[in-house]
Amino acid sequence: MENKDKNKLSRRRFLKAGVTAGALSCISDPLQAAAAEGASKSKAAQLPFAIRKLLNKAILPAAKGARVVVVGGGWSGLTMAKYLKIHNPAFDVVLIDKRPEFISFPASNSWLADQINLDFLTHSYIDAAKSHNYNFLNATVLGFDREAKKVFTSNGYINYDYMVLAPGIEYDYSRIGVDDPAAQVQLYNNYPGGFVNSSELITIKRKLHTFKGGTFILNVPNGEYRCTAAPYERACMAAAIFKQRGIKAKILLLDMNAEIRIKKQGFEKAFSSLYSDYINYLPSSEISQIDIEEKAVSTDFDDYQFDDAIIYPPVRASSLLEDAGIANMKTAQKTANTDPYKYHVIGDEYVYVTGDSRSQPFSKGGHTANSEAQYVAEVIAAHALGKSVRWRSPQTMCFSAVDINPLKAMSIITFYKFNKKNKEFEFDRTHMMEDWNTEGGQASLAWAEGMYRDMFYK
Amino acid sequence: MKAAIQHALFGLLCLILSNAQAVEKITLQLDFIPDIEDGKTTFGVCARCHLPEAWGNADGTYPQLAGQHVNVLMKQLLDIRKGTRHSSLMFPFVQERTIGGYQELSNVVAYISTLPMNPAHSKGPWQQGTAEYKQGKKIYQEFCASCHGENGQGNNELVYPKLQGQHFRYMSQQLGRIKSGLREVHPAMQAVVQKLDLEQLDKAVNYASYFAVPKEDMAVSKTWRNPDF
Repeated sequence: MENKDKNKLSRRRFLKAGVTAGALSCISDPLQAAAAEGASKSKAAQLPFAIRKLLNKAILPAAKGARVVVVGGGWSGLTMAKYLKIHNPAFDVVLIDKRPEFISFPASNSWLADQINLDFLTHSYIDAAKSHNYNFLNATVLGFDREAKKVFTSNGYINYDYMVLAPGIEYDYSRIGVDDPAAQVQLYNNYPGGFVNSSELITIKRKLHTFKGGTFILNVPNGEYRCTAAPYERACMAAAIFKQRGIKAKILLLDMNAEIRIKKQGFEKAFSSLYSDYINYLPSSEISQIDIEEKAVSTDFDDYQFDDAIIYPPVRASSLLEDAGIANMKTAQKTANTDPYKYHVIGDEYVYVTGDSRSQPFSKGGHTANSEAQYVAEVIAAHALGKSVRWRSPQTMCFSAVDINPLKAMSIITFYKFNKKNKEFEFDRTHMMEDWNTEGGQASLAWAEGMYRDMFYK
Repeated sequence: MKAAIQHALFGLLCLILSNAQAVEKITLQLDFIPDIEDGKTTFGVCARCHLPEAWGNADGTYPQLAGQHVNVLMKQLLDIRKGTRHSSLMFPFVQERTIGGYQELSNVVAYISTLPMNPAHSKGPWQQGTAEYKQGKKIYQEFCASCHGENGQGNNELVYPKLQGQHFRYMSQQLGRIKSGLREVHPAMQAVVQKLDLEQLDKAVNYASYFAVPKEDMAVSKTWRNPDF
């Protein structure tokens, strides 16, 4: 299945490859020609260094079987890489991620409140690849050439037979009224949301443990944001930290939704019985403007001054889907048009989209991504054999820490089914355990440990 | 539950003798009187995934635990604890540091045995009267019935799992896992699974999925919900 045109890189293709406009503008026509098929070494040598690197093949052991490139080493990509090898040991699987190590976002709220240490959350991509017989490439994906079936990375390009895109989410600041890119960066740097990069989490932990008192704003975005329960859980953990530190602090929890989205009774009870002096929950608070200088947030109803904040904007699918030329910019989250059951891009059965950048409305979270990837890995393995697999629902298992010392948590598990009448997915068989207790707290950690075990160890 | 849950523990004792490397296997049999109330509390953790009825689901990701023999349930917990049955997610939940010792395992297993079975478990694709059903019956009777029973009733004393009421897809997936080495089982079972191909195995469990569950073992309706949770 090796590609015949692997050396071709016409200008048209290069554009399709989705290399950013900035990089393209530095390629003048002669240089462009050098990049094309048959370019001599001397001509290629005239290319700017950054471009030359793109034209090198990534250094990997030679593929023995069909190569599956998995873009994104989050919960979906890690699970995908492992189960692809289980369902078809002949696959040559390469997992690409720009991060050198893995820090888990699920369970990280318990880390904010010092219920677990950072070692618990931190795992090695090297261990994962070694345990499950695939290759890990620590590189940033820069673009694609889907016609030639190539992925360009900061460490060279890779040819693929199948590609799975699991690049996750990005913040969409425009949906809270911040359109200027420079203002978005400023907002991110001052008040990171804590759902994309692990540095955001470290900053948030420092903020919560050094806050001197006053008003601390947290918010819940609307739409299908990552980890539905997490903003409410985080409010509980932040309040628990302030309570333990004995500081006079008020958390304004601005919920862009009309009511608590998940585990409603449990969180309501926690806010009123444990944290009534700390959490002021404000539903239907759509953020319309943020003034970073003045430290003020405006909603349609009111303006709020704050001393510090964690601003979690609504989210969208990673812009890598745009780079791959598969994003449907008309959808709310700029997701790809994919088959809702088989996950491949419509019109391309060799490219799949999974995890939080999927187009299906499943809850964005670790367990969902893990159970979904186990199924999609089977789909791809079957496709390679000309077979198919019966659809099965992802599962969403979600623990929320409510109280600390000892850690107490509640949980929910839910499945999905397709409602043929309304033509949309809906929840199926939801089971909630909203009475938080220490068994739940321990279970939340056992759950996380089990998931890390699945993704990283034998 | 009056009867004690019994399970054999196979331990190894290394006798360090001068110039000798004698390793002797020691077989212990311990009896536990289960505490069902305590088992119920423990099951509260299990129910977070397995759901309070422990009925499993049609796509095979969870088995029906209700109605299963206590010794079979116990063996699965111990196999997952040891790692001979791979289940990354369950592994941390069944360790001594989380669930407790044999007494606690006995308690939870005994509690599960009090639950009525799913009156509407999912069956295989080939209904009675089809050629595949008949082929499955023949395979089942030749290879499976001697241990699992003519009606899939299993055997608690001999730790043979009950197949009555088990979801078709669960059985099918487990056979696939046994075949590919992800689940270690009794050598006799291993031999049968290796002898048959996946299609034959599917037909056999298709037949097994149509075994009638005794009415007294079932819940009154499929909308029954476990009042304990």
